[in-house]
Amino acid sequence: MARLSGLQRDVLTLYRRCLRACRTKPTETRANFERFTRKEFGKNMALDKKDFGTIEFLLRKGTRQLEIYEQAGVRNIAG
Amino acid sequence: MFRAAILRAARTASQSAVRAQRPAFQRITQTPFLQSRISTPATSISAIRCYASSSGLGQDEVTGRIMDLLKNFDKVQDQSKLSASSHFTNDLGLDSLDTVEVVMAIEEEFSIEIPDKEADAIHSVSQAVDYIMAQPDAH
Repeated sequence: MARLSGLQRDVLTLYRRCLRACRTKPTETRANFERFTRKEFGKNMALDKKDFGTIEFLLRKGTRQLEIYEQAGVRNIAG
Repeated sequence: MFRAAILRAARTASQSAVRAQRPAFQRITQTPFLQSRISTPATSISAIRCYASSSGLGQDEVTGRIMDLLKNFDKVQDQSKLSASSHFTNDLGLDSLDTVEVVMAIEEEFSIEIPDKEADAIHSVSQAVDYIMAQPDAH
């Protein structure tokens, strides 16, 4: 694989954090969380890798979303 | 009859206990074959067990488990290219996000946690096998 830029690695780190958060969810709904994570990242797959502003914005948005959804009170997710 | 057997067993046990408690200098006077019989009490035979020794994960087993895991991964496009040396991106057609997922699945399979830095360096089945083999607590 080609060397990844710092920003690309940040995206992968966020993705990994999301998947780790999925593991803390109840077994029955874990698949829903994983599907949601994949879909959210998949939405912006086509984004140009030079579009730093957008990527940085989405990273911040994703991190905030993760902080909300990883709370123990969130037990299931639609999507 | 059963009680008699127990009594007999108890008597022989107490006799042997007494014999074992005899001071060492008395043994010298005994005949050699007697001495050899009592000088090795059963408790000294217990073998040494090392609980910290490695779980003995073989290279073939690790490779097999990782291949099974990839076989069940729905995003692998070309199953025929799946081998012990396949590259996640070049051979299996996975993107960087899928690679992260594969590495996370490997983490779960072997009950370990791979730090981000090492995880970013795993791009092929053989690299994953090498990493697992280097982990003493993988199982």
